Amino acid sequence: MDHAGAPLIALRDVSRSFDDGAVVALRGIDLAVAQGEFVSIVGRSGSGKSSLVHIMAGFDKPSSGQVWWQGRAIADRRAWTVLRSSEIGIVFQEFLLLPTLSARENVEIAISKATAGEARRRADDIIARVGLAARAEHLPHALSGGERQRVAIARSLANRPRLLIADEPTGSLDSANAALVLELLFELRRERGAALVLVTHEEAIAARADRVVRLSDGKLENGSGDGGRPS
Amino acid sequence: MTIAALAWRNLMRRPMRTALLALGIALAVATALALIALSASIERSTADSTRERGADLTVSQKGAADLFAGFLPDKLGARIAAVPGVAGVAGELIMFAPVDEAFQFLAAGMADDSYFWAAMPLTEGRKPDKGERYVVLLGASVAKALNKKVGDEISMFDHGLKIVGITGYRTAVNRGVIVMRLQDLQELAFRADQVTAFHIALAPGLTTYAVAAVERGIESLAPVNVDPTDQLFANDRNVEVLNAVSLAISIIALATAGLSVLNVLLMAVHERMRETGIMMAIGWSDGRIMATIILEGLLTGVLGCALGVPLGLAACSLFELLPVIGTYLTFQPGLAVIAPSVAGALLLSVLGSLYPAWRAVSLTPAEALRRT
Repeated sequence: MDHAGAPLIALRDVSRSFDDGAVVALRGIDLAVAQGEFVSIVGRSGSGKSSLVHIMAGFDKPSSGQVWWQGRAIADRRAWTVLRSSEIGIVFQEFLLLPTLSARENVEIAISKATAGEARRRADDIIARVGLAARAEHLPHALSGGERQRVAIARSLANRPRLLIADEPTGSLDSANAALVLELLFELRRERGAALVLVTHEEAIAARADRVVRLSDGKLENGSGDGGRPS
Repeated sequence: MTIAALAWRNLMRRPMRTALLALGIALAVATALALIALSASIERSTADSTRERGADLTVSQKGAADLFAGFLPDKLGARIAAVPGVAGVAGELIMFAPVDEAFQFLAAGMADDSYFWAAMPLTEGRKPDKGERYVVLLGASVAKALNKKVGDEISMFDHGLKIVGITGYRTAVNRGVIVMRLQDLQELAFRADQVTAFHIALAPGLTTYAVAAVERGIESLAPVNVDPTDQLFANDRNVEVLNAVSLAISIIALATAGLSVLNVLLMAVHERMRETGIMMAIGWSDGRIMATIILEGLLTGVLGCALGVPLGLAACSLFELLPVIGTYLTFQPGLAVIAPSVAGALLLSVLGSLYPAWRAVSLTPAEALRRT
């Protein structure tokens, strides 16, 4: 059920601690991302960026607070699985491709709600779109870092998600490949009209976003989360 | 890509481990199959042999631990013959007897008036003449094992017996029997006036109801069991014990295979935890991830069965080459023998994969992705 006017995703007073509260990763985060919006999250190492991404993607549960999707509180594992299979695409710094599957198969297994033939066709299309048609049958170990990340981007967009989360997507690439991958990511995001949450520590990249959110010691600086109130 | 294809790809990333696991399952399936076949063949081979000689029912002592342990007075035969519906009675003393001091063979002493004599096929020689003492007919397997022919002599219970014929029976049990007059075997074995069982030929065309009436009529004469030939071992304690032991060993073998599946898949799941995290991250449901792992277990089970069934059948063929078994038993592998071991192996392969599957989805995606 969509609530008109509600942010696409919103975190409300979200905190996350580990080891019975001994380590606090996030403190009272209020953050909202609107449909189609491009938000950069910047912060130093250990500031809580990855914890925030994990909460936004439903990989981890907040210790307190809630995450809302289109005005609906998402708490259980099954609801998050459904969102990740259709509404949320993720790109990791370390690519995280399945090593026994080819580039095309890595994309194909992420495609939901499609017949086997349709999934294969869609995977072929998007692999071609990221410029890897000739490398589609190669296993990840036979691809360069930049190619692997392009496969990961193709996989994240395979279901036409409304939210794309990219956690340091160029962190493992050299500068030339990083620039290519970023341009591809921005271009595909624009084509599909998806919101983008980009975690980066590079100010120049972050500055290309509609809004920059700064994390420091698990807290947002200066209310840069822009509300985070579900309607 | 289907989850079955992914499961297969996962198994093939460590082909040696998968092959060894499948081999373990195959050995368990082969063991179970051979033991089940052995149990089934004892009952079937004996029933076949009795049918070959023309018996419809067998009368044995009630409460005897096994068929050979029971004894009945041979005079009971005349009273059984008088029961309406009985067309023929064959009193028989049967036992394992020492032959030529080095062997043990089944010896069957048949009453002079037994209808078995008339129906007995011969390949060589003759049947005993009226009143002729201490002569025997050898089954073909016995003659071959002892390398004896008509005119030779054998020793049984330290008494010389002249071979007058070779029987032409086709079933394994009958080919392994030494046939002689009842009076001679009773005397040599100190079983005067006793038989082990009476075999009954029924009058032709009896209805089921009439057969039941014959059984009741015989049972009213003495404390006896009356069984159709295919249920000859229904009251046999030894066969019950053998069946129970075979079943227990089969279950242990298959359970060990199931535990191997659990162990190997648990190891595989542990190694692939980060990949499981990736699958969670791209929206695979817990059910789909579990199904992939259960399919891996099932596929190894199928592989194990594909190897194990021929292996088990080969083992059965080898049993027939062993004189102690092959003299009396023939193995006829059929669905009734193969199905239980295959079904057991597949079921236990699936059960063995349930815990690893559950473990795979027991972590959050964040925890799984943190694993190296």
